[in-house]
Amino acid sequence: MTQHRSSKRLLRAGRALSSPHDRTCPQHQEEESRPMKISIRSSRRAAVAVALGSVLALTATACGDDGSGAAGDKGGEGSGTGRITFWDTNGGVRTDIWKEIIADFEKANPDIKVTYVGIPAASAQSKYDTAIQGGGLPDVGGVGTAMLAEVAVQGALDPLDARLKGSALDGKLSKNLLDSSRAAGGGDQLYQIPTSSNNGTLWYRTDLFERAGLDAPTTWSAFYAAADKLTDRGRNRFGFTIRGGEGSIAPALDAAYSQAGVDSFWDGDRTTVNDPRIVAALAKYVALYKKDTPSADVNNDFTKMVAQWDSGTIGMLSHNLGSYQDHLKALGADRFRGLPSPTRDDGTRVQISNPVDGLSVFKPGKNKAAAWKFVEFAVSHAENSKYNRSAGQIPANTEAAKDAWVQEAEPTKLAAEALNGAGTKIVQLPYYLPDWNTISKADNEPNFQKVLLGTMSAEDFLDLLADQLNKAQADWKQNH
Amino acid sequence: MITEEAPEIAPAPAPAAPEPPRPAARRRRAWDEVPRWQIYLPLSVYLLFTLIPFYWILLFALRPAGSTSLVPWPMTSVHFGKVWNERSFGVYFQNSVLVGVATLVMTTVVALAGGYALARFDFRLKRGFMLALLCTQFVPGALLLVPLFEIFANLRMINSLASVVIAETVFQLPLSMILISGFIRNVPYSLEEAAWVDGCNRFTGFRIVVLPLLRPGLIAVGSFAFVHAWNHFLFALMFLSDQGKQTIPVGLNTLMSADSVDLGALAAGGIVAAVPVVIVFAFIQKWLITGFSAGAVKG
Repeated sequence: MTQHRSSKRLLRAGRALSSPHDRTCPQHQEEESRPMKISIRSSRRAAVAVALGSVLALTATACGDDGSGAAGDKGGEGSGTGRITFWDTNGGVRTDIWKEIIADFEKANPDIKVTYVGIPAASAQSKYDTAIQGGGLPDVGGVGTAMLAEVAVQGALDPLDARLKGSALDGKLSKNLLDSSRAAGGGDQLYQIPTSSNNGTLWYRTDLFERAGLDAPTTWSAFYAAADKLTDRGRNRFGFTIRGGEGSIAPALDAAYSQAGVDSFWDGDRTTVNDPRIVAALAKYVALYKKDTPSADVNNDFTKMVAQWDSGTIGMLSHNLGSYQDHLKALGADRFRGLPSPTRDDGTRVQISNPVDGLSVFKPGKNKAAAWKFVEFAVSHAENSKYNRSAGQIPANTEAAKDAWVQEAEPTKLAAEALNGAGTKIVQLPYYLPDWNTISKADNEPNFQKVLLGTMSAEDFLDLLADQLNKAQADWKQNH
Repeated sequence: MITEEAPEIAPAPAPAAPEPPRPAARRRRAWDEVPRWQIYLPLSVYLLFTLIPFYWILLFALRPAGSTSLVPWPMTSVHFGKVWNERSFGVYFQNSVLVGVATLVMTTVVALAGGYALARFDFRLKRGFMLALLCTQFVPGALLLVPLFEIFANLRMINSLASVVIAETVFQLPLSMILISGFIRNVPYSLEEAAWVDGCNRFTGFRIVVLPLLRPGLIAVGSFAFVHAWNHFLFALMFLSDQGKQTIPVGLNTLMSADSVDLGALAAGGIVAAVPVVIVFAFIQKWLITGFSAGAVKG
């Protein structure tokens, strides 16, 4: 008791020291003597609560696994039954459709269970990289061509050529997409079974075009004429919105190659990106900035670009099929259309290869037989059709690509026709270069912004890009 | 009577004398001399600049998809329903609360113990230890991902919220310990000595005499730990795979796909993520400011 009473006095003194007002206010001091008991009791209670809270919190949050499965592990075929883990690298938006496919798969294969893991698209590469180094790779996962080379080069993927040869899928997948998958993985082996392809799409506002008396922008001449005519800067109306922020390089190259009609990315071991025709086409395209586009476009990633187009009065947007549902929700079906990128005036269609989504089996997986069964099932006619209908993309399964919904969804149908058209020339971007993502993003997106702002010429930009690509290609060749 | 008991207390060393406040009359004169617009105009501009993004988020969260109206009318709760039910934000919210509270508790308890040792004991290499604590602040979390992943994998803690709590706590501790040691240094040591004279052991003396005086500091450090754990994305993304264990920041990121973004749902998710932090700050603002200024380390 004595101890506590003295301590209370000490505490009061401490408080008095910390508060000059309390020291000079006797009334306040008298009032303080009561709460003191409460304070001691409450501090004891707090200590108990803290201890209990810590124990409870750790108990509630514990129980995990060892995340085994790093790139060095060789894995095994397994029994073809049991549990497998699937990583969806476009988690969230595609979660519902994947869960539907998984439910169908488990119904058809009652002895296999699939654990679904949704990963945000923007972080998929870093999640894979960490798992490759530290362990925890899934049995099967989504790996797009944009990251295929980086994952494959670390030895994390199982080659799929032999499996495909003996499968019911053989001969039923788009040859163009299989070629893209093979090329993106380095060219020798197939590390990805394609599920769907995207395609560059020129979205345009039919209401604005009709009001201005313009025809659909099917050629580059019609595109530039419409961009000029629809722009009224005083009323904050623009003909086009250009992508100047994250992800700007691929659309810029698509526009340049498509206008110039150059149909190959390489001329021997030298890239064609600084070909004078490409330079002239890019300079013309970039000149639209601020003339027919909002000045904020210099920082536009696809999110801002799509939001700006869906909620404003901008005539045209160059993106891909992936934003179809966003436009539909925002504008309704009657106020916009989506066409493949414009052709040259002579009707020649050249376009750069678009990212191909697909599924890969991971080398350290201990149940590769079951993982492959899942891949086969997901890319089968019915399931691939279901998936792509939901995603608004072009099915890799050729039977699914003929389904009625593809014919009814105009942007998808036109994109599929353009992609598979006999006259279409596809310029294969070098996704297989391990440095491609660094070169096309971190290294050169800021330079493209300089080109838009007029502090760097299109020629200097493309020369720099060409130097980096030629060097990366030489390095890659040395190692292959 | 307190006034009679006061002489029994061991005289405490006087804290550094604060600069005497200016007389109220002079303060008022200075206030009167400044034209009001010079104060209110910059403040209003700053406020507008700060609030417009919040208004934008509210607008997109509350107006129907496809609307271009600049006011959220007609109002809809569809986006909130979508993120809470369809996108599992209810589950993410629970997990984030669990991670945030557990990090707060663990950071505060361990920082209190470590801060006390730094403030009250002299030991060899103490300055070096303090310097090392400061240096840890310069190491980005991403650099330590793989080693941390391997450690948790060996402990079979991957895909467990405990791994995120421990990683967050470890990253919060250095700054929290430095801050808490500053607060403890401000409490005169003689108060504790007097408690020992009265029969308390070191722990009881600390609990009864020092701890109540550290309330502003504990609130500052605890809230800082909670908010950081609440907002942190990287560890939750890397260490957790099970959908039912993910946290709000990871959930927010899944609302942005590779090619499409549901802005209404994203804005609603942003509000769900921001509300607890705003409430925490609204309640603790007073202590937070006192806490940080009291814990400031003097050079």
